[in-house]
Amino acid sequence: MSNENRTSWENYRDTEIARVTPILTDLGYVLDEAQPHTKGERYLMQAVTTESGKKLILLGRDTETDGRVVIKVTSSPDGIRELEHERTCRRVLAEIGFSYQSFLSPKELLFVRTGPYCISVQAFIEQEKPFLDRSIEEQFELALRSFKAQESAHAATYEHARLVRKTFGSMEATGYLRGFERFMACPHGAGELLQKAHDELYNGRHTIEQYGGFLTHTDFVPHNFRVLGNAIYLLDHSSLRFGNKYEGWARFLNFMTLHNRPLEAALLEYVHANRTPEESASLRLMRVYRLGEIICYYTRTLPKSEGSLLALNEARIAFWTEVLAATLEGRTVGDDIVENYRTVRDSLRSDEEKQRQIGLH
Amino acid sequence: MRIAIATPLYPPDIAEPAPYVKELAARLSGKHEITIVTYGRFPEEIPGVRIVAVSKQRPLPIRLALYTFALLSVGSRTDVIYALNGPSVELPASIASFLTRTPLIAFLGDASAHARAQQRSALKHLEETFLRRACTTVSHTPLQHPEILPFSPYPNEKMEAFNRSWKAHLEELEAALLYV
Repeated sequence: MSNENRTSWENYRDTEIARVTPILTDLGYVLDEAQPHTKGERYLMQAVTTESGKKLILLGRDTETDGRVVIKVTSSPDGIRELEHERTCRRVLAEIGFSYQSFLSPKELLFVRTGPYCISVQAFIEQEKPFLDRSIEEQFELALRSFKAQESAHAATYEHARLVRKTFGSMEATGYLRGFERFMACPHGAGELLQKAHDELYNGRHTIEQYGGFLTHTDFVPHNFRVLGNAIYLLDHSSLRFGNKYEGWARFLNFMTLHNRPLEAALLEYVHANRTPEESASLRLMRVYRLGEIICYYTRTLPKSEGSLLALNEARIAFWTEVLAATLEGRTVGDDIVENYRTVRDSLRSDEEKQRQIGLH
Repeated sequence: MRIAIATPLYPPDIAEPAPYVKELAARLSGKHEITIVTYGRFPEEIPGVRIVAVSKQRPLPIRLALYTFALLSVGSRTDVIYALNGPSVELPASIASFLTRTPLIAFLGDASAHARAQQRSALKHLEETFLRRACTTVSHTPLQHPEILPFSPYPNEKMEAFNRSWKAHLEELEAALLYV
């Protein structure tokens, strides 16, 4: 099954690149030889993520200016809808009148429908260095600034809500509970723990609702934003929605549990020292929600994996289950557990995936 | 003294004057009986402070009317209405103060609302009516709470300045309450 998925993805990728290359040439763009975002475990993400359509994210250059560009190409109806939705989000985001701070987005160079394809070309934001290579103080400052920028868009009134609901979508406490029930339906061995997590979310639904209506990037991790000078550019605008203020924080902190524990600790310390106890509770509940999601995600990869990748995905489920158990107990997971998991992950990851990960964060 | 604080914003709203109102109510609650009238669904609680929240999830005329009724109800049982500027409070506070004969103290704490009022004649007229209705106006705005950042020393000086500014603000407010 795993090989079938991989082969199917590789066939799709190669066919689409072959078909789209001359179109891009006519439009004034040339593709790079190496396309890291089409390799490694990308096929698995595509097979498991049902929300978005099939699309390719390619790197290339503008033949006139020689500037680097990011090219998103799709011919699937869902993929086209996603690209159009993302574009609308970018436009509306720039126009939101009730946001107190502005967001930066990479410049759109081209958006075109040609034949079966929808093609979106954006300027590539060249970073001086990846986010995780910056000093911890810089990382903290950048992350906090990004969260504050998101929080400054609060759809508090009837008029605000009406403006944003159709564009970005919104999530209330009942939506988070329904979402978690879907995660629980995934067949995994953490049933009892997830039931406990669901009970916590249910009991804390008032707190979740209290901090609702804020703009939040649901996939706010270093590969979805780029830093140039002092400016932060948000990528993947289709992951923006109005929901709990701490949903984006939760995704970021869960990511940092694995990638940068001092940053996780610093951000938790910041929330504890500067915000209300209800806000800390809201953050914890959102972390629980996002952990349920990641456990479900990797559970769904199991039937599509084999060999080392299957063992890796099982290790991922076990690791995130440990993190969830710790979060439910109001503590962070032990460093030894994180280190052990990293060792296992690095021993099981394919070379191609290791290559894809270089400089990604 | 029984004080009604009328505000357009209150946490979880993050923009000023929301944090100011929470800080003010917490500082006054030991000495006075405080009721906050605000817009919102799930306001952050303060021990010993009553909060009346009017949902923002209704069209503007309806929420303005509901807010006015809420302030009339609270204002009739308080000694003073302390109202922040901004049209969504200026109108209800002026009406509630007039109908209940409860003294009104105005606070020009929302600089952006004040700036907007200077640009649009209807808003300017509303703000002027609100200020005329008030028996006194408080203008000193205390500093915002300094942030405590993980990689920086504890902001002792900023914290002292913050507390000094609040002391001055509360002295001005207590002096204003003497007019009532």
